[in-house]
Amino acid sequence: MDTPLVKIRGLKLEASTKRGTVHILRGVDLDIGRGRILGVVGESGSGKSSLASCLLRLLPGNITHLGGQIEFDGTDLLKLSDSAMAGWRGRRIAMIFQDPMTALNPLFTVATHLVDVLRRRHPGISRADALARAKAALDSVGIADAELRLKAYPHELSGGMRQRVMIAMALLVEPDLLLADEPTTALDATVEAQIVDLFEGLRRKFSGSIVFISHHLGLVAQLCDDLCVMYGGTVVETGPVAEVLANPRHPYTRALLACEIEAGDEGGRLVSIPGEVQDPVAPHVACVFAPRCAYAVDACRSTVPALRNVTVAAMASELSAMGEGRRVACIRFEEIA
Amino acid sequence: MSSNTPMSRTGEAGELPVDASGPAPLVRMKGVSVVFGGTVRALDDVSLSMIQGEIVGLVGESGSGKTTLCRVLVGLTAPTSGSVELGGRPVYELLRKEPLAFRRRVQMLLQDAVASLSPRMTLGKTLHEPIAIHNLPRQETTLRLQAILQRLGLPADVLAKFPHQISGGQARRVGVARALVMQPEIIIADEPTAGLDVSVQGELLNLLLDLQQEFRLTYLLVSHNLNVIRRVTGRTAVMYLGQIVEEAPTRELFGRPAHPYSAALLSTNPAIDPQHRSRRIVLKGEIPSVVNPPSGCRFHTRCPIAQPRCTNEAPLLTDLSPGRRVRCHFPFSLDPQR
Repeated sequence: MDTPLVKIRGLKLEASTKRGTVHILRGVDLDIGRGRILGVVGESGSGKSSLASCLLRLLPGNITHLGGQIEFDGTDLLKLSDSAMAGWRGRRIAMIFQDPMTALNPLFTVATHLVDVLRRRHPGISRADALARAKAALDSVGIADAELRLKAYPHELSGGMRQRVMIAMALLVEPDLLLADEPTTALDATVEAQIVDLFEGLRRKFSGSIVFISHHLGLVAQLCDDLCVMYGGTVVETGPVAEVLANPRHPYTRALLACEIEAGDEGGRLVSIPGEVQDPVAPHVACVFAPRCAYAVDACRSTVPALRNVTVAAMASELSAMGEGRRVACIRFEEIA
Repeated sequence: MSSNTPMSRTGEAGELPVDASGPAPLVRMKGVSVVFGGTVRALDDVSLSMIQGEIVGLVGESGSGKTTLCRVLVGLTAPTSGSVELGGRPVYELLRKEPLAFRRRVQMLLQDAVASLSPRMTLGKTLHEPIAIHNLPRQETTLRLQAILQRLGLPADVLAKFPHQISGGQARRVGVARALVMQPEIIIADEPTAGLDVSVQGELLNLLLDLQQEFRLTYLLVSHNLNVIRRVTGRTAVMYLGQIVEEAPTRELFGRPAHPYSAALLSTNPAIDPQHRSRRIVLKGEIPSVVNPPSGCRFHTRCPIAQPRCTNEAPLLTDLSPGRRVRCHFPFSLDPQR
C-alpha cells in the first residue's frame, strides 16, 4: 500500500504587514497521493496559491513565520537548507504558472528555455541530444512545427502556445510533483479546452502527482481524482472528488456548490453566501467559516475544528493512508449530514 | 428541425429576430461593420436588436468583436458602415443633436469596477460628477442618488470614502449607482461578474435582475461565464471573428446549439454534476487574425465538420426559426448530445 507522496501537517504561514500579522495559512493538513491529481479549490484569499508557494518554498520577503511539516517522500522540505531546497526545485518539483505571458523569459527562445531545463535535469547532456528531446517535448504537448517553434521567442507565440511550452518545460523535468496554479484561467474557452485535454492526456504519460489549483469547480470535477476545499487559510474538506461533490459534508463546501449555476437551474433567486471572508489579521481561535455559516453554534465560535475522518474509525487510518479518506473540518458534520 | 427543411433567407441584413407583431426594438443595429486602419475588420456585418426590458447575452472569445460592439452601442466607436438606431432614431444623429441625453440613455458597467473609480476622488464626488456634467436638477437628483444607494445596500457614509477604502463588491455597486442615477434605458454590462468569487456573484446578479424589473431596464450582458449567460439572459448572440455566428433564445441555444462554434464553445463549460456532462468538443488551433480572416466561412479552418463548400462560400446569417439565426451551411451537424 502506497504512502502519500507528500504529507503536509500543521502548515502555518504568517506575514507581517502594516495592519499586523496576516495569517495566510492557519494550519493546513493535506496528503498528496502518488500518481494522483489533486484539485485545490477555494476563493480569493483562501490560501491555495500560498500552499503551492510553500511546497516550492518560494515566498515573499515579508513572511515572518513558516511552520509545520511538509514531508515529501520522507524528507521535511521545511528543514532543508536553502541550497538543498534549490536542488529540489525544477528537479523533483515543477510548477506551471497561471500567466504564461510573464512566466517565460522574453529574451530567450523556446529552445533555450527547454534546453536549460534538460541541462539541469541531465547534467552533461549534449546539445544535439537536448534539442532532439526538446523537439519531442513540443510534439508531445501538441505544438505543430516544433522545429520552427524552437527558434521562436515568447512574444511570437499565442497564449495557448506559451502555456504548452510551460507544460513541456515542466514535463522535461520529470518531476515527482507537478504544481499547476490556475493554468487555464488566462486562456480563451476553446484554447482552455485544448489545455484541459492535454492535462487529461498527462494521466497516461506522466507518473508523478499533480496539484491542480483552480477556482473553477467544474474543471476540477472533470480532471481531478481528489479534491481539497480551502477557506480562509485552512483545509475544510478533502476526499475523492466525485464523493465530495456528490455528498459534501462541510457547510462551506455545501454553500459553495449551491452558489454554482448548473445546467438544470432555472429561474428563482441566485444563491450567494452572506457576509465576507474573515479578516486574515484576525487570530485563529474559532472556525474560520463560522461568521458566514448557517449551522454555526456557540462552540464553533470558540474552538478551532480539527480535520476529522468521515469514514468509520477502524477503517479510517487505512483509507487515509491510501489518500482516499474523506476528511472534514467541522465539529457538527455528523449532525448536519 | 431537420437539415433538409428549406430555410428562409433573411431578406435584408438585420431583419428583426422577432416576429413582425412584436414590439418595436429599442436598439437596432443593422449591418454594422467597423474597420480600423482599413485592414482590421473588428465587426463585419453585425445586426442585433434589443427590445425594451430584455436581457441579451453576448459571448465569444477575445478578438471576436464583443468590446467593439459595446463601444458602437454606447457611441464611442462610429461604425464604418451600417446603422445603429435607438428608439427609431439613428445614433449618429442623437450624438450630434443631443449628445448628453443620448449618454444618459445608454450607460455602461465597466469590467474592472475598482479601476473605473478615480482613486483621487471620494465616491461622493465621483457620483456627483455626472449630475454636474449633465446639469441635472441638483436637489432632486441628490435625493434620487440617496435612494439608489439605499436600494443597493450601500451605507450612507460610503460617499465620504475613497475607492481603496471599500471592498470589490461595494465598488461594483457604486458603478451600478453611477449608471442608475442617469435613469438609463439600456445598460451595457461588460463582464459584470469577472473576478468576483462564486459566493458573491449571485448577490450581484440578483441585484441586476431586480433593477431590471423595477426600472424596465434593457441589458446587454457580455460574459465569458456561460453559466451566468444561461441563467440570466433571454436571448444570446455568439460572436466569432467579428461576426455573429448564431443568435437564439438562450434556452434553445444551450439546449441544442446550431452553429458548430457554438456547440464547441458550450461544450467547453465543464459541469460539476456528471449527469450534465457532455462530450467536450476540442477545436484545433486558435482564433485566426481579423486582419486576414479565412476565406469562405470564417470558422472553416477550425470547424470539425467543414466541407469543401465552406472554404469558398461564406454562409449568410439565415433564419432557422422565430428569433433564431445561424451563419452556417450545415447547422445542427455538430451535436455533442448525439
